[in-house]
Amino acid sequence: MINRRNFLTTVAVGTASAAALAACGTGGGTSAGETGSAENPVTINYTWWGNDDRAERTRKAIALFESKNPDIKVNGNFTDFAGYWQKRATEAAGGGLPDVMQWDLSYLRDYGQRNQLLDLGTVKINTDAFDKSLLPSGQIRGKTYGIPTSTNAFAVYYDPAKLATLGIAEPTGKWTYKEFNDFLTEVGTKSKSAIFGSTDYTGVWWMFNIWLRQNNIEAFTEDGKLGFTKDDMKKWWNQTAGLRGTPAIITEERVTQLAPKSPFGSNVTATEVTWDNFMAGYLADSGAKELKLVPVPSDDPDNLGLFLKPSMLMVASAKTKFKDAAARFIDFMVNDPEVGQIFKTSRGVPASKTQRDGTTFEGTDKLVVDYEKSIEQYLKEAPEPPIVGFGTLEASFKRVSSDLNYGKLTIDGAADAWFKEAEDLIKQNA
Amino acid sequence: MTTTATTTESTPDAQVPNYNPKSESAGAKRAKSTLFHIVALALTAVVLYPGLWMIASSFKPNAEIGGTNTSLWSNNFSFDNFVTAMEGIGGVSTLTFFTNSLILAVGAVVGTVLSASVSAYAFARIKFPGRSIFFGMMIATLLLPFHVVIIPQYIVFQQLGLIDTYVPLLIGKFLAADAFFVFLMVQFMRNLPGELDEAARIDGAGHVRIFTSIMLPLMKPALISTSIFSFIWSWNDFLGPLLYLNTPDKYPLPLALRLFVDQTQSSDYGAMIAMSVLALLPVLIFFLVFQRYIVEGVSTQGLKG
Repeated sequence: MINRRNFLTTVAVGTASAAALAACGTGGGTSAGETGSAENPVTINYTWWGNDDRAERTRKAIALFESKNPDIKVNGNFTDFAGYWQKRATEAAGGGLPDVMQWDLSYLRDYGQRNQLLDLGTVKINTDAFDKSLLPSGQIRGKTYGIPTSTNAFAVYYDPAKLATLGIAEPTGKWTYKEFNDFLTEVGTKSKSAIFGSTDYTGVWWMFNIWLRQNNIEAFTEDGKLGFTKDDMKKWWNQTAGLRGTPAIITEERVTQLAPKSPFGSNVTATEVTWDNFMAGYLADSGAKELKLVPVPSDDPDNLGLFLKPSMLMVASAKTKFKDAAARFIDFMVNDPEVGQIFKTSRGVPASKTQRDGTTFEGTDKLVVDYEKSIEQYLKEAPEPPIVGFGTLEASFKRVSSDLNYGKLTIDGAADAWFKEAEDLIKQNA
Repeated sequence: MTTTATTTESTPDAQVPNYNPKSESAGAKRAKSTLFHIVALALTAVVLYPGLWMIASSFKPNAEIGGTNTSLWSNNFSFDNFVTAMEGIGGVSTLTFFTNSLILAVGAVVGTVLSASVSAYAFARIKFPGRSIFFGMMIATLLLPFHVVIIPQYIVFQQLGLIDTYVPLLIGKFLAADAFFVFLMVQFMRNLPGELDEAARIDGAGHVRIFTSIMLPLMKPALISTSIFSFIWSWNDFLGPLLYLNTPDKYPLPLALRLFVDQTQSSDYGAMIAMSVLALLPVLIFFLVFQRYIVEGVSTQGLKG
C-alpha cells in the first residue's frame, strides 16, 4: 500500500528523474544545434498534410535526402488538413512541435508572432533561385518564418468543349468586369439555363482581394487592420447585382445540393475563378478532356492585381534541437531539382527556379506552369501573410455572400454583418 | 390476442348484435396499429437512408459520387473502391489500421470494465471517510469538457515521453477516469439487495470475495452495457489518437479515413466510403452479438427498481 509520505516521495523522485532526463536531452546544444554523423545520425521529425499520393511522393523525397545526407534521418508523419491544425495547436501549447513542418500561409502569422517558428534567416537556406516578389509572403516584420515550396496564381477556369457546343468563342483573358459578366450571361442564356455561367465570383475572398489590388488598395494594413472601407465592399458585391438569380450565376440552393463537389467539377457551370492548382481535382471530378486557364478580369488592363501565392511553405520549430539538420532538409525540399521531379505540380508550381528548371512538366502540369509563365509580366509583389484569424474572416465572407445570394441579406446588410465580425475579430487578436 | 377477442364476441350470449363496442375498438386498434407501423417504418427509412446511401455509394466509381448524380445505384457496379481501400495509405496497410483500432478498443473495454467495477464497488458498498465528497468530485469531472483538459494532459504525457504510444489513450481507462461508467455501475450496484453481501459477510467473506463472487456475476448487464459503449466510443474516437499518435503505422481507422479526402488535392470519396463500410462492420458485429444483453440489462434494472 502506498501511504501519503511514500506517495510524495515517489512523485518527487519521478519529477527529479524526468528533469534529469530532460537535461540529458537538451545538453550539448550549440547555436547550430546538435549534429550527427553517418555512424550516429540525428533524427528530425517532419510532418505534412495530404493524401496517399503526397505520402508516396514525400517518402521518395525523404529517401533521396537520407541517401544524400547519411548523417540525418527524417521521420515523416502525416494527417489530413483539418486534423493537422488541431494537432499543431496542441503541440505548440505543449512545446512539442515537430522539427520541420509543411505549412499553410493562413497560419504563418499566428505561429510566427507567438515565436513558435524558427527565424530561417538565422540558418543557411539558399533562396537565390526564388522570385524576389515571392519571399515577403513568408516574412513577418523582417523575419523569415517560411520558405515557399511552390506557388499558385489566381485564374479563370473554363471548359472549352462546353463553350464549343454552345457556339461561344473562347475568352482571351483580356477582359473587363463588364465583358466577363456579359460572357457569363451569354453562357446562361445560350444553354437555356442547362449550364450556368459560374458561381457568384464576388463570394470568393481572393477575387475580392485581387480586385482591391487592381484599385491599388491593400486588403490589410501592415499593423493588421482592414485596408478597405465598407463602401469598397458594397461596390464589389454590386458587381454581380444584376446577375444574381439569372442563368449567369448558379443559385446557392444548387451549390449546396452539389456539395461536397464543386459546381464546376460537377459540369454545372462553364467557368470558375480560383487558384490554378485545382486543375487536377477539377479534371478528375468533371471528367472533362481539357480545361483552360485565363487571367482574371480587370478594368485596368495594365494592373491585373495578380500575384504568386505560396501554396505551401516549409517552416521549422523554434524549439528544434537540430537547427542545422532542419535547415538542410528545408533547403533540399525547396531547391533540389530531383525533388521537383518527384512532386511535379502536386504541391503547386515549384517556387525555386533551380527546381522548376529541373522538372519536366507534361499534360496538366504543363498547363498550370504555362499559365503562370504567361502572366509573369503582370505579377506584383505578394501580400504579407494574412492577419491572425484570417481563416475565420474568409469563411464568414463566404457565408455572408451566400446569404446575399439566398436573398437573406441586402448588400448593405451583408457589408454591415461582415464588418462587425471582422472588427470584433481584429480587436480580439490585437 | 385478437382471435380470442373475436371468439368471445361470437358467443350467443351477446344480446345486442347491432352494436358491438368490442369489435369496433378492435378495428380501431388495428387501424391505429397500422398507422403506427406506417409512421414507424417511414421514420426508420429516413433514419436508415444515409446508411443505405453509404453502402450503395461504396460500389460506385468515384466520379459518380455526389455532384449531379442523384441515383442510388450505379450501373457501373464494382468492388474497385474496396480494393483501393484495402491497399492502405502511404505504405501502411489497411489491416494495420484495423489492428490498431482493435487493440485500442479491446484495451479500452478491458480497462474500463476492470477499473470502473472496482471503483463502483467501493463507492456503493464500502463506507470510507469522504466517500460522498469523492463521489461528488467524480461526478463533477463529468461536467469538465474534454477540450479543457486536452492541453494540460498533453503536456503531462509529453514530459513523460509517452507521445506516440498507446499509453495516453489507454491509461485513463485502467484508472477509472471515465466517470460516466463508474456512475452507471454505482447506480446499478445500489439497486442490488444489500442482504446478499450481508449474508456473504456472515459466511466470512471479505470485500474481495464479495466483489468477485457476489457482485460481479449480478452486474453482468451493467458490465455488458459498459463494454458496448466503451468499445464503440474508442472505435470512433478521433481527437485522442489525432493528438497523441504521430506515426501513421499506429493510426486507428478514424484517422486513416480522413486521409482519403484531401481538399487541396483530388479526393477519393469512393475509397473513403468503402473503408467506412468496412470500419462499420466490427462495431455492427459487436453490437449484434451483445445487443440482447443490453435489453436484458435494461429489463432487469427495471424490475429491481
